[in-house]
Amino acid sequence: MEIAIAGLVCLIFAIIARKLSFPAIPVYIIAGLALGSSGFGILQADEVSKKIAEFGVVFLLFYIGLHINPREVGAKRKTIFASGFYDLLINFALVFILLFATGFELSRAFIIASSLYISSSAIVLQSLIENRKLILKEAEIVVWMMVFEDIVIAILIVLNSVGFSDLLYFFAKLTLFTVLVLILSNTAPKYLDRVMERDDEAPLLLVFSAGLLGLAIEELFQIPYAFAAILIGLMFSQVKSVEEMVIPFKDVFLILFFFFFGVSTKFDMGGLALGIVLAIVAISGKVVSGLLTGLRTEKSWKSGLEIGLNTIARGEFSIFMAFAFGDVLISSAITVTVLITSILGSLTSRYSERIISALGRASQ
Amino acid sequence: MVRLTGMEGIGTKYELETSKGDKIAVVFLLNRRVQLYIQEKGCEKPCSIEMSENESKRLATILSGAPVEKEKESIEVDFMGIPDLTLALHTYTVGRSMAGKTIEELAIRKRTGVNVIAVSRKGNTIISPPPHLIFEEDDQIVVIGNKDQIERFEKEILGA
Repeated sequence: MEIAIAGLVCLIFAIIARKLSFPAIPVYIIAGLALGSSGFGILQADEVSKKIAEFGVVFLLFYIGLHINPREVGAKRKTIFASGFYDLLINFALVFILLFATGFELSRAFIIASSLYISSSAIVLQSLIENRKLILKEAEIVVWMMVFEDIVIAILIVLNSVGFSDLLYFFAKLTLFTVLVLILSNTAPKYLDRVMERDDEAPLLLVFSAGLLGLAIEELFQIPYAFAAILIGLMFSQVKSVEEMVIPFKDVFLILFFFFFGVSTKFDMGGLALGIVLAIVAISGKVVSGLLTGLRTEKSWKSGLEIGLNTIARGEFSIFMAFAFGDVLISSAITVTVLITSILGSLTSRYSERIISALGRASQ
Repeated sequence: MVRLTGMEGIGTKYELETSKGDKIAVVFLLNRRVQLYIQEKGCEKPCSIEMSENESKRLATILSGAPVEKEKESIEVDFMGIPDLTLALHTYTVGRSMAGKTIEELAIRKRTGVNVIAVSRKGNTIISPPPHLIFEEDDQIVVIGNKDQIERFEKEILGA
């Protein structure tokens, strides 16, 4: 019953968000917060909704993997690296050092830095399309930046999951799994293509189970499901029509994940204050890294600002980090950061041109 | 010179700069919609429109200089690798003059150079119809050829 209510509430909010051309991710979280334990307390998260939320996460990570096409990445590695380098340096490395210096313990600094680093591909790309920026060179750089971040995500997840006693054994297992998937990536797509070409329910079932396979691998081999799901996605990135088929599954489960994340988030004042501070760090970090990237690739601060203003929104991955690794304080802080940056980021993307020309006039 | 860029998670972008220095970009989005950008030389701000797949196909037809009439929808295909090759595909409705005759009888290819590549009859499509296929009135046929051949076909076969 909760699931049906959640779905209908999200439906109403989705329509409203579309009408106001407002990013949908923060809206689902706010809806969950309002109806859950932090708000009116109408809904509770139970075992079933937890499972559904987990499905959303595993589909999201599978989808992220799907966008890392090893061949394309290999061919474009210079461009991808140039687009993503300053982003990683400032929004991950520098933020991590800052947090550590201000007294956060190593593991928490790492979780927060990971969440602040990754922009929301969903919001960022949607904004580029809606605000008609695809002709711009900067739009291409932003797209490659998202690809670079997606690659780093896989590494971050592994580093965040290192809570296991036997490190050596854990890494040996991971390496073995990774090598296996990469070997399969060379042979499996041929056979998978054959299944995907059928016109019955077989392709749907294949895509659905492939998306969820990460969960099974965690239970069987204690390999973090997030990492497994990304790698399986990577394997499927060369199989045709998987992407369009997985989108409906991903969207439904991921929206429910955002909603129930909101429902189960316990809010505290400490989290709110920290979240606001982190949001300021998150926004200025992306503006600075965008500026540096633009100066390096396009030799222009205007380009750099365009890149920066288009990458401010944080979203799905940051919420996943809070859900998977965060404690109460970190979870509520990151939620606040995501709400602020996703809403502000949509606006800065929409009005970037005005902001840049205003700054251009001011500097003369 | 057309520049093609795959934009991960967005779609495919084609960019073209005219000899006068105006810029055009066409982006095929993943949701099958198409965005078209036009930027005049020396102008900061590009203009853009978004269209459905069908609208973009119609626009392509108009741009390729082919007449678009209700009964004669056509597309012209240009291949990037072979700049001087333009293939025209036309659809026609079979009228009285052709009904009851076969492709062989009409000697379509011999007389005009076009090939009939598909016949659609009451919702069934026959791809690469055999030469002994008898046309019926109201069949929808698709023919392929170059501009001159198509013109000859319209004059010799349809106009007969």
